[in-house]
Amino acid sequence: MLRSILKRSTVTAVALAGLSTAAFAQLELKIMAPAAPGGGWDGTARSMQQAMMASGIAKSVQVTNVNGAGGTIGLAQFVNGSKGDGSQLMVNGFVMVGAILLNKSPVNLSQVTPIARITAEAEVIVVPTDSPIKNAKDLADRVKADPAKVTWAGGSAGGVDHIMAALFAGAVGADATKINYIPFSGGGEALAAMLGGRVTAGISGYGEFEGQIKAGKLRVIGVSSGTRLPNAPDAPTLKEGGVNLEVLNWRSVVAPAGITPEQRKVLSDAVEKMTKSKEWAEILKARGWDDAYLGGAAFETFLKDEDARVSKVLKDVGLVK
Amino acid sequence: MDTFNALMHGFTVALEPTKLLFALVGVFLGTAVGVLPGIGPALTVALLLPVTFKLDPAGSLIMFAGIYYGGMYGGSTTAILINAPGESASLATALEGSKMAKAGRGGPALATSAIGSFVAGTIATLGLAFLAPWLVEIAVKFGPWDYFGLMILAFVTVSATFGDSPLRGLTSLAAGVTLGLIGIDRLTGQARLTFGVPELLDGVEVTTLAVGLFAVGEALYVASKRFRDPEEIVPIKGSLWMTKEDWKRSWAPWLRGTAFGFPIGALPAGGAEVPTFLSYSTERKLCKYPGEFGNGAIEGVAGPEAANNASAAGTLVPLLTLGLPTSATAAIMLAGFQQYGLNPGPLLFAERPDLVWGLIASLFIANTMLVIINLPLIGLWVRLLAIPQPWLYAGILVFAAMGTLAVKASVVELSMLFVFGFLGFLMRRYDYPVAPMVVGLILGPMAEAQLRRALQISLGDPMILLENPGSAILLGLAFIGLVAPFVMSGLNRFKASED
Amino acid sequence: MNQDVTTGRADRPALVVALLLLVAAAVVARDAYSQTITSNYGIGPNAMPYVVSVVLGVLGLAHLFVAFRGGLPKPEAVDRNAILWLTGGLIGLIACIGLGGGFIIATAIVFSFTARSFGRQALAIDFGIGIVLGLAIFLMFSKLLQLTLPSGPLEHLL
Repeated sequence: MLRSILKRSTVTAVALAGLSTAAFAQLELKIMAPAAPGGGWDGTARSMQQAMMASGIAKSVQVTNVNGAGGTIGLAQFVNGSKGDGSQLMVNGFVMVGAILLNKSPVNLSQVTPIARITAEAEVIVVPTDSPIKNAKDLADRVKADPAKVTWAGGSAGGVDHIMAALFAGAVGADATKINYIPFSGGGEALAAMLGGRVTAGISGYGEFEGQIKAGKLRVIGVSSGTRLPNAPDAPTLKEGGVNLEVLNWRSVVAPAGITPEQRKVLSDAVEKMTKSKEWAEILKARGWDDAYLGGAAFETFLKDEDARVSKVLKDVGLVK
Repeated sequence: MDTFNALMHGFTVALEPTKLLFALVGVFLGTAVGVLPGIGPALTVALLLPVTFKLDPAGSLIMFAGIYYGGMYGGSTTAILINAPGESASLATALEGSKMAKAGRGGPALATSAIGSFVAGTIATLGLAFLAPWLVEIAVKFGPWDYFGLMILAFVTVSATFGDSPLRGLTSLAAGVTLGLIGIDRLTGQARLTFGVPELLDGVEVTTLAVGLFAVGEALYVASKRFRDPEEIVPIKGSLWMTKEDWKRSWAPWLRGTAFGFPIGALPAGGAEVPTFLSYSTERKLCKYPGEFGNGAIEGVAGPEAANNASAAGTLVPLLTLGLPTSATAAIMLAGFQQYGLNPGPLLFAERPDLVWGLIASLFIANTMLVIINLPLIGLWVRLLAIPQPWLYAGILVFAAMGTLAVKASVVELSMLFVFGFLGFLMRRYDYPVAPMVVGLILGPMAEAQLRRALQISLGDPMILLENPGSAILLGLAFIGLVAPFVMSGLNRFKASED
Repeated sequence: MNQDVTTGRADRPALVVALLLLVAAAVVARDAYSQTITSNYGIGPNAMPYVVSVVLGVLGLAHLFVAFRGGLPKPEAVDRNAILWLTGGLIGLIACIGLGGGFIIATAIVFSFTARSFGRQALAIDFGIGIVLGLAIFLMFSKLLQLTLPSGPLEHLL
């Protein structure tokens, strides 16, 4: 049964590939997901595989998983083992920027060739519905009054949620080194701590809290995007609440260092074409991801800026010395 | 619509022929991947997600549920047959189960685990259907301090696996807790005891330690004394099925295991390991034939296996009622829901009752299918033990290597497997129990993280552990468990001296 | 168990375990001491290591005591040949994966060496069986589960 499903999906992929007249049809790619199968980066890599094969952008795409240490183990292998190989890509994202600093990784993102940012997710700050905190200003006042008394629940230490909490404290003029941030493993545990009223506020990707927000169990204090989210028009942005702060949890693809400009162009074109394909649009919709395509030099600058911002925050909160 | 009618309606959905087919595919896949160490239900569902993208939501969710339950059944098979627990939740099953298998009682061991899983799964699914909304209210109230109390209670009960020397048992436990320190500290992101090796940043994998100590260590040990004291594996001795006596000794552990597994599984950070440990030590205390424990007591298989399966159903309580994924598999199932634009939680019960209740009904069906599929398979599994000893152990080592490579394909990980294998060999030679080490690795980091979260919330005040009734009671129980044996033996000595 | 209290001489294995535990205690304590980052509130990442270090130290001293009071249970003699073959198989496995020999050959090495260690005298045949087994597992992983196990020359032919 499974085999027949698998077979059928390959057959469709092949049929579609035959129909399209893409110039890349000969492209054979390897995408590394520097995470365990089933995680976010793995999902991105496998979705890219699906979209590229179905839309005929590539003839074959193979996903490999190298998990560990926020992606830095995969990064090390990618930097050292794939130099100059124009058929390899790696998925990465915001979290890796912090992980490189936290884990004192011997390799960093200056040793890869940036290709493009592909997706992004806004972060959201929430409180339980019965909390006396009503909006961003209330929360800002409390953090300013005594940062110790405001407990934040979120994901791993030094990750995007933690950085967001520190940036919030900084943006409202409180001492970011004094925040009381409690990392939980997995969204479920952080969510339970929120619903049980164990912590003051919670931070996570919007999608993670969406169900509870719609069910009326959590109140949105603010989303971290520049404008309101299309799927949550009622949720105010932090900027509207008077906190000047924008954070996006983005995912991107990079290629090895030392590839030729032609190889770089082929990979960039293939990724760009994929992000514009119908198949990719369907996947984004199904997975609840936002298209955030940013390619070429703009992405390179973006990557540098994010790197600088994250290093500053991690030093501010005392996680990196 | 009350719960009962809703459930009956769910059965009409789940009993459609196509849905039955999906459930069947799911339980088959689940059993198959459960048998492979290193590959669990979470990974399988993750890999199937893109494939099921175009299928109908109810059908694929039913299939995922089948994989989930099937994985729980399959996990016990390798634990019992070749002493290689493929996941941490089958650790307790391996302790007595593998001893039974070597003594020709593999049939009854597999049977009690299959039937126990069925009983536990059915009761726990009933609990899921009728108690979920009420149970989840309590579950989210469980704070870090309460979890810390639960972990300490579990720690105390580990002494049941110490064998006859408390010193050697404690040493093994301490070694496990030390291994648990290795890697990135969850609360500050700092590396501890990694000595600059990046592969150590994620810590020691429980399955690598368990498979190394149990399967590889045992292979080395058996090989080392092959001439002097050849091991005899008897595939079948006595009945292949459970005898009347086995039934009599199994039913109560099944029920007690369910009682541990379901509520703890429903806790957002409860997990499947703690209830299996609690069940194992309870059965050991209550067993009427204490001499058999450690040599293959059926109670030690029946209880933990039931607890394991019940906790799987428990995990679905917060997932369905609140959308809280509390295990890796649940997180992937959540992704499965979301790919159809569905968000589990209170709204889903109101908006798509056919889907939710169809899923719950299909859990009963999957459970029944599993027991029907698994019982005839037992005869086949047990015959695997009749493979000539050199090939049997060669196959076991290939299995161990495969499981390790599937989790993490690195030389460092394989080297750890090798070192742990040798450690397991030496520990067996000098009569150190190996189980406490794995337990220490599992519980140590959990207990530390919860304690530190509790103290972070209380701003460093340790009284928070005693001020909250939940943690106070659990810590009190742990204290009694720790002190009672000494008091008892003291009393006995006192009585003896009076005589 | 040997409860002979008046042996007079120290039990070597127990001494070794004692030494290992004391060294481990020192290493854990040193690592904890060198932690530079602390938590803002509650206890930091070095609190638990210090507790563990103390426990390891106490257990080490207890083993020292045991070494002079009967020692550890006396193990039976070892079949060195069997252990060497098995160890060879495992080291072969690690080397094969490390040097890029791929999963299938690695499987064949472990399989044949282990079978040899358990007394079979047909290394070549078992190597062949190992290749077939490795191939089956590799194909199952790559085709059915879409997971790539370590690849070498043989795997690239597929």
